Amino acid sequence: MNRRRIPEGFPWVLPSLLVLLALSIYPLIYSVKLAAADRGNFTRLFTDRLFLTASIQTIVLTIAALAIEFFLGLALALLVDSLARGRMFFRTALLIPMLLPPVVAAVAWRLIYNPQFGVLNGTLRWLGFHTAHLTWTSGESSALASVILVDVWEWTPFLFLLLSAGLQAIPPEPLEAARVDGAGAWRIFRDVTLPLLKPTIVLALLLRAMDLVRIFDQIFILTQGGPGTATETVSLYIYRTAFRFSNFGYAAAMSFVLLAATMLFSRGLLRAMRAR
Amino acid sequence: MLELTGITKRFGAREAVCAVSLSACAGEFVVLLGPSGCGKTTLMRIIAGLETPDEGTIRLCEQDITRRDPRERDIAMVFQSYALYPHMTIDQNIGYPLRVRKRPAAEIEAAVKNVAARLGLSGLLANLPRQLSGGERQRVALARAIIRRPKAFLMDEPLSNLDARLRVEMRAELKHLQHELKIVTIYVTHDQAEAMTLAHRIAVMRDGKIQQYDTPANVYHRPVNTFVAQFVGSPSMNLIPHGSVILGVRPEDVQLSASAQTDASPGRIYVTEEMGNETIVVVRDGSSQITARCPAGARFEFDSPVWYRFKPGKVHRFDSSGTRIQE
Amino acid sequence: MMRARSGWREAARKAAALLPYLAAVAAVFIALAPVYWLLTISLKREVDQFAYPPQWIGFTATLEHYRDAFAGGSFAAYFENSVLLAAISTIAALAIGVPAAYGLARFEWPRQWDHRIADWILSTRMLPPIVTIVPLFLMLRQARLLNSLIGLAIVYTGFNLPFVVWMMRGFFEEVPKEIEEAAMLDGESRSGALLRIVLPLVRPGLAATAVFCLVVAWNEFLFALILTQTEAAMTLPVGIASRVTQYEIKWGAMSAAGVVAMIPVLVFAAAAQKYLVRGLSLGAVKG
Repeated sequence: MNRRRIPEGFPWVLPSLLVLLALSIYPLIYSVKLAAADRGNFTRLFTDRLFLTASIQTIVLTIAALAIEFFLGLALALLVDSLARGRMFFRTALLIPMLLPPVVAAVAWRLIYNPQFGVLNGTLRWLGFHTAHLTWTSGESSALASVILVDVWEWTPFLFLLLSAGLQAIPPEPLEAARVDGAGAWRIFRDVTLPLLKPTIVLALLLRAMDLVRIFDQIFILTQGGPGTATETVSLYIYRTAFRFSNFGYAAAMSFVLLAATMLFSRGLLRAMRAR
Repeated sequence: MLELTGITKRFGAREAVCAVSLSACAGEFVVLLGPSGCGKTTLMRIIAGLETPDEGTIRLCEQDITRRDPRERDIAMVFQSYALYPHMTIDQNIGYPLRVRKRPAAEIEAAVKNVAARLGLSGLLANLPRQLSGGERQRVALARAIIRRPKAFLMDEPLSNLDARLRVEMRAELKHLQHELKIVTIYVTHDQAEAMTLAHRIAVMRDGKIQQYDTPANVYHRPVNTFVAQFVGSPSMNLIPHGSVILGVRPEDVQLSASAQTDASPGRIYVTEEMGNETIVVVRDGSSQITARCPAGARFEFDSPVWYRFKPGKVHRFDSSGTRIQE
Repeated sequence: MMRARSGWREAARKAAALLPYLAAVAAVFIALAPVYWLLTISLKREVDQFAYPPQWIGFTATLEHYRDAFAGGSFAAYFENSVLLAAISTIAALAIGVPAAYGLARFEWPRQWDHRIADWILSTRMLPPIVTIVPLFLMLRQARLLNSLIGLAIVYTGFNLPFVVWMMRGFFEEVPKEIEEAAMLDGESRSGALLRIVLPLVRPGLAATAVFCLVVAWNEFLFALILTQTEAAMTLPVGIASRVTQYEIKWGAMSAAGVVAMIPVLVFAAAAQKYLVRGLSLGAVKG
């Protein structure tokens, strides 16, 4: 007889569920309707050169930035963890880039990257380098790499922070046992630290990857997708399609591709969190 | 006074408590005794109103309280972890039940002072719980329970987080306090010594059912089945299969002798444990082991031969299912 | 001879011990240099801003760009919008999300519904903003809430809500159940126990959650860009962005606005430092 009763906690949760239904699920359904209004929206996906370019560039950017940020973040975490003093200071100082409003960070980097009057080329020239060919975000071949560099600067702290916390959470006993058993520093890292850190690594990579595939703010300020289409990403292309060309249906259709990619990551994420 | 009738509680398919009926008279100290997972804590939480029973009724002072909120039951509880409010001072912790009931501040202050003095907490009132030792926290939890003179006390293993010496001390204090207050008390424990020393009546539980509900003396001397027989008493009662029945003998009813005796059986010494005031001797006879409680001076070598016999009239008899056979 | 060699070795070991510190200092330099550069541009006279060689130190400082941006310019209005928006959306998200977190953490749910609901709530947070923004734009336009702080506040509330539920659920679960049960036996109702016993105990977590919501709302760009296109409703990030994409960029005023935009975030982050990891990993890693 109790089985059919509404759970006691349900009224507490209801307002949140309603808000999220209105602001997440309803828009999603709306979006399906928008996209499905014209079947051409989906067929166009397969023939749209620009969408293909944007997708490839998004993937390249995601993988490259993720790999660099991970290795740098792990190296920094290990480095700071090994310091005897000043750990708190370094940990705090290294976090700052990630906390800034992305728009402000991107503005700072525009001041740095500008080929004529930017501080980067200025400093390099002052040090005696030739800088005429260093065009950074305004060069077609270097723009994507420059954007990746900004992302690395801004978000390596995120991986550093999570991996640092993961390192600190490792109990000292297994490490001490390995030392007593005669393992060297590298063996200890490979055989004990890394396996124990794995759940944190997976979680950090998934969280970051989810944000990378939707990257928008920095590119919008730095390059607006240019020069040409050199730094066009899926988010940016959707934005342009919807709000410059008012093609809401096609924008919705493209956003489902992005959604599919994100869902793939978020599944892994939930599983990783459950595993903890 | 407190009356449970046919209480059943299921968690999914598992029956944590099944059809338990139990009554306690005014001022009685009842101990629920059993191994972990036997349902004793669930039963207590049902009495408190923290769980709702699937079947059965609870009556307290002639009123049906089965469906009432915890706060409307006027029952106080001491938790195993004490559950002190970590952000309140000791003073505020003890006075809290009265503050919730919006009693005048002067009355609360007087009551807190009174209770604190009684439990030796007067000097600690301005402290926070984390500044106190385990024994002190325990007393704060007690103080918070008794300040409002509830209709019933519930105590969930309140002494289990204390060290051995303090536990014995608090046990005596608790017994005296309950005697003074004369409030019906339900006390959950898995420690048979606590149960024996504190209870007016013990309810021995197993798998959600009450096995025996009786005075400590009767539970000890006339256990209704082999489970109760073995759970109460330390060292445990010896159970020896003997044809179609099982014989039960308490260690103090086993007599040992180093030389052959008529009507005694031969065995070998397995191990002896000197306790200071007595010596526990384990004897091996074929495949079975018999534990005997001997005077302090008893000396036996490992593996030396020994003869044992049971005191006449002290042998319990159980049938093959473990139920006591009435003489 | 022996002694000399061991002395040299000692010195080498000391130098090697310093290496990690050098590396860490270099990393901090790279992390902070862009921020510092932005700060100097905001303080330099226009003639010095792009001088060659770049002036890292020793330039003539002026506050004229700050005056430009905030006293004469429209950044003061953007700043006010951003403050209002962050405050309103944070309060709303907490008011709706905290009870939900409590409900999920504390009540018995049949067949693990608490986990399923929590996962579902979290999964809505994982929707890329660009996916929902087209329909949200059209919905708000229909409701005549485009270019209004209210419209954006509603969107931010929904955006922060999953985060509040997920974080606060973790904090509630850390409070021993017995403390609440003791309060209920002492005479509190369920909501009384929540208000007077549990909430005071999770206050640090509540503050950390609020800080995270404030920072997210303060930093957010995409929604604000699309949903507020008039001067009157613009937020600080959108205001800054709109100046960057113009032909003639007033770098001084913009840098000043940027510096001002990052100050509250840094202050808040310092306040919630203990909970940074937990907040950023949605509570999955306790820090």
